Amino acid sequence: MTAVRCGPVKLSSIFDADSFRRRRLAYACAAGIVVLALVETANALLAPLRAPADRDWRAATAAIRAGFQPGDLIVTAPDWADPLMRMHLGDLIPLAVAGRLDAARFGRIWEIAQRGARAPETEGGHVAQSGRHGALTLRRYERAAARVSFDFVAEWSRATVSRVGLGGQVNWCSPLPDRFECPELPSQSVKPELLEIDTSPHLALSTQPAGQATTVIEFDRVPLGRELAVGAGLHNVWLRKSGKGTVSLRVLVQGRELGRIEAGSLTGWTLRKFDTSALAGQSQSVRFEITVDDPTSRTLGFAAEART
Amino acid sequence: MAGADQIGQAPRRWWERRWIVPLALALATSGWMLAVEGRQGLARDEAQYFRAGERYWGWFETLGEAVRAGKPGRAFARATVDGFWGDNHEHPPLMKTLYGLSWRLFHRCDCAGPKRGLHPIAVHGKHRTLPLFARESTAFRFPAILLAGLGVALVYGFARRFVGPWAAAGAAVLSVAQPHYFFHAQISCFDAPIAVMALLVALAYWKSLRSPRWGILCGVFYGFALATKHNAWLIPCFLLVHYLWIRRNDFRWEPSKGSQTLPRWCAAGGAGGLPTRRFLRLRPPRVPLAFLSMASLGPIVLFALWPWLWHAPVARTREWVQRHTQHEHYNFEYLGQNWNLPPSPKQTGQWLLRATFPFVSTAFTVPVTTLALAAAGTVVLARRRRKSEASDEPSLVNSEPPEPGARASWLRPGADVDLAPGIFLAVQILGPLGILALPSTPIFGGVKHFLPAMPFLAMVAGVGLAWITRQATSLVRPSRLRQALPAALVVLLCLPAVTETQRSHPDGLGHYNLLAGGFAGGASLGMNRQFWGYSVLPLLPWITAHRPPSNHIYWHDVLHDALIMYARDGRLPVAIGDVGVGEPLVAQADLGVVILEKHFAVYEYLHWESYQTTRPAQVYAHEGVPFVVVYQRAALPPRQEPLPP
Repeated sequence: MTAVRCGPVKLSSIFDADSFRRRRLAYACAAGIVVLALVETANALLAPLRAPADRDWRAATAAIRAGFQPGDLIVTAPDWADPLMRMHLGDLIPLAVAGRLDAARFGRIWEIAQRGARAPETEGGHVAQSGRHGALTLRRYERAAARVSFDFVAEWSRATVSRVGLGGQVNWCSPLPDRFECPELPSQSVKPELLEIDTSPHLALSTQPAGQATTVIEFDRVPLGRELAVGAGLHNVWLRKSGKGTVSLRVLVQGRELGRIEAGSLTGWTLRKFDTSALAGQSQSVRFEITVDDPTSRTLGFAAEART
Repeated sequence: MAGADQIGQAPRRWWERRWIVPLALALATSGWMLAVEGRQGLARDEAQYFRAGERYWGWFETLGEAVRAGKPGRAFARATVDGFWGDNHEHPPLMKTLYGLSWRLFHRCDCAGPKRGLHPIAVHGKHRTLPLFARESTAFRFPAILLAGLGVALVYGFARRFVGPWAAAGAAVLSVAQPHYFFHAQISCFDAPIAVMALLVALAYWKSLRSPRWGILCGVFYGFALATKHNAWLIPCFLLVHYLWIRRNDFRWEPSKGSQTLPRWCAAGGAGGLPTRRFLRLRPPRVPLAFLSMASLGPIVLFALWPWLWHAPVARTREWVQRHTQHEHYNFEYLGQNWNLPPSPKQTGQWLLRATFPFVSTAFTVPVTTLALAAAGTVVLARRRRKSEASDEPSLVNSEPPEPGARASWLRPGADVDLAPGIFLAVQILGPLGILALPSTPIFGGVKHFLPAMPFLAMVAGVGLAWITRQATSLVRPSRLRQALPAALVVLLCLPAVTETQRSHPDGLGHYNLLAGGFAGGASLGMNRQFWGYSVLPLLPWITAHRPPSNHIYWHDVLHDALIMYARDGRLPVAIGDVGVGEPLVAQADLGVVILEKHFAVYEYLHWESYQTTRPAQVYAHEGVPFVVVYQRAALPPRQEPLPP
């Protein structure tokens, strides 16, 4: 029988302590890369498991459907998850909501979030309901909603539309069931349309501005509130790429200019809120004047709401 | 000097023969790709190259018929040549020809049945083939996959000139284990092939510095590169920078023969003699054989391989060059913006932002461990320059020291100088990235446009691997552990790249690394997710099962050529509908596909308006990130009929 002698293995028999002392920095860097490799490998294996599964979406969807009220807004954070949310809840998101001017009119906002993100639409709201569904976090935010006293896109048929030439001659555009048609340029109608502006959906009044004329869209007796929110931008990525002109949208109330929005190929969707508190409670005419320096490949879309 | 594995040593065992490791790496790479390429959808450009490749094969068939008829000249008539080679003539033909040849040799033919009409050339009957592949698309892809294997072997061979075998093998693995490179390497396009060709030319150039034989081969390989993709135009520029660097001592300030004594009035204050006017005596290094070879043999090889040039070489070469020098700007998503217009000079911020694209994309797409290894390798190579003796750097194999007493000549222009591998690798990496960063370069987008940098980046990472293994082995005492450590460390350090690449498949274009946060992180950063409409493949069974009674389907960015190949592969019914491309056609379809790229948003909204819903019927997502949506017009029952085989 052979006796086996066991004892602790000395680290110095494995590692060269002198070498370690001399080259600590180099060893630390090397060890750091090895640790990085382990972390990256583990992450590559585990990260797919942390992505939201279909059952997570179904659970979050069921919770929303249980508490959904007409007028609620549903959003995702980050916004790239939006198609998955719409696959589950698209019936609760009509075109007008998807193509909203902004989120101010919504007092209750459901947010399906992941990876710690928060949707900008929920800004100013407090969490009224919260729940976790696998990798998804569902929150319902509540806040004071802006009351819209006049939606210029929804009320588009109440407008009068004309083209004013350089010499001041006025050509009136005819109201048709779905648009205004201007006589000299029948293809350049004014109509409500779901547009792609800055690669986002916007339900807006679209028009192709004329080069030598001002397109005038005027609404009479608009019940004004404390602010007039106006958003504008150029439609269609291909047109934005091929055209060069800048479209100017001038906003006037009772003949007085509130401001302008300039829309070019790179300006995106510009949202401005004009203070109308001095006119709150009054009904006034609101006029939009559209001009362009080069009309080639330019389609302007704009939306506006008078809010209390 | 570490890495006792000197080139030229006689192998002791059979597996130590020089060709064994690169062959094994090449086979493993090609095998890996063949095992997974079936999950990779057909890319937009790839589908056009399928069509063109088959047409090019058609010319060879015609040539064979003409030879058999005793009138070979018929096949060379301009109308005949243009009829076949005019297809997709904006790109040179080498890879497309190989794709067509591979298809002809290796597909499993059911060409005489209902699919006969799906071919771009006449099919006279069942083809006799070696039916290696079940899908025709795989047969087309096979040359690209083989070339990817060759690329890995070349990286190993090249890296062995700087580092030991384990680190070189690691570099080879890291060169292909990059999600974006892997995506491109398995499809019938040109982006990975031109990266391999650039590597081949660079290797030949490197060897030509000491060997005239490689100088000649360099020109031949350059011809292959020219015939692969127009990126080849830039290869000599990058090589020239390196050449001028290693021969920089040939430039000197010296009095020229025409040195003049300055007139006295010009030498005011000059006491004690008149100054001598000094000129830069321009004694440029001799033009080496490799460059002469590239300038002469390159175009000859290109011309020989490209029949489309034969009847109007000058005019058509000009057309080819102009097509790419006057290229339009693509749409491309980068950091949340869709870029399709060059920023004006006033927009400094945008100009700078755009110039960062190739560097930020590299930082976010290459596996982080590979980047860290490359950083370590960069330090090693930089320190090497500071040494008086290159062999002082123990992580590097100094296989090519200047030959004592050797004199440089145009045949062996690097005989008497250090070959400066650090500068060489830096130029090969930074050159392709730098070109894309120039504001005058059209917006292309995509890592694919600077893929030729990636094999060289992997080689620098290989130097980093060598450095880490050197550190580890110097720390441990037991000899067995010292022997085992290099292999273990190389496996460990290549593991994240391989795992990330496997994870990314088949959506390598949408994959971003640990720094960016993976697929979801890349999407949150607003980085490009995909292009070429390849990602529809997982939805094909659903679309087939739910195709509308009208058979009117809008396929968006899935090219008709891709639909044809899906049908030939048996993944779609032969009679699947396709209303065509364009915004007005969305309304004509009852089922519509939208590929989710930022600039394609307009097509999704057209579906919303036409179908009066924002609810997609199906979404394809990878790790929760959507890639494709399908919209279905309401109240339409699915088509009820059996699918053709």
